[in-house]
Amino acid sequence: MMNKLMLSCKKASELIDKSDEIKLTLMEKLRLSFHVAMCEGCKSYRKQSLFIYKVLNRKSKINPENITHLENNPLKTQIITKIESLSK
Amino acid sequence: MQEAVSNSDSSSIMKDWVNKYSDNMFSWALHKTSSKETAEDLVQETFLSALKSYDKFEGKSNPKTWLFSILNNKINDIYRSNFRTPVVNNFSDLTSFFDEKGQWEPEQRPLNWVGDSEHLLDNQEFQTTLSQCMHKLPQNWLSVVQLKYLEERNSQLICQELNISATNLWQILHRAKLQLRKCIEINWFKK
Repeated sequence: MMNKLMLSCKKASELIDKSDEIKLTLMEKLRLSFHVAMCEGCKSYRKQSLFIYKVLNRKSKINPENITHLENNPLKTQIITKIESLSK
Repeated sequence: MQEAVSNSDSSSIMKDWVNKYSDNMFSWALHKTSSKETAEDLVQETFLSALKSYDKFEGKSNPKTWLFSILNNKINDIYRSNFRTPVVNNFSDLTSFFDEKGQWEPEQRPLNWVGDSEHLLDNQEFQTTLSQCMHKLPQNWLSVVQLKYLEERNSQLICQELNISATNLWQILHRAKLQLRKCIEINWFKK
């Protein structure tokens, strides 16, 4: 019984990310919560996987109007030169 | 009757647009691709395509909107073509995270990150570290991460576009997250 419930960390971390995409079976869910309850490493992994999702999601909410504005004058010169050479 | 725009007219308009909008476009492309060289290439290609298809512009929309729509298409093409660049799927990498019993290798075991709170999401320095870590991923994994999280593309659509299975998709995301996690831990939380 115990053996059936015990997941390895490799499998548990897989299930953590799989659950974002595919519905886990009841058995998978049980085994995962059982494992995470006892394993500090996988508990941290679950938090961090969500954290990574959140930072990337925040990044996706940025639009061209609110990004940090950078200047790139060499690029301007390069493109203008290119345009001039093409229109000759 | 309006005369067709001459070659020199369109190129002088384009040069004006380069001065007005290229910084903004470069900043955007850099934000999207996290690579200076790629961003510069994309902006240049955008202006060259715009110059070529200038007669289709017709002044109906705002030039900036038009240029950004070309740029965004090119960014999307990059994600897709990067996925196809053959990269050896280094799945053996995974074994280095876990021992033969499937337990975390001692130095790979996720630490408890102190201060991984919401405020980090807006921290510019942290974003830079994140971008650098993303670019250490194999090119085709990075494309999947970009499409899934940055473009917020629906998973089914990603699978169709990249011709991969649903299982493939979560496995790639999982492997990418394992590596990202490690890289962020070393370069941010342990510093």
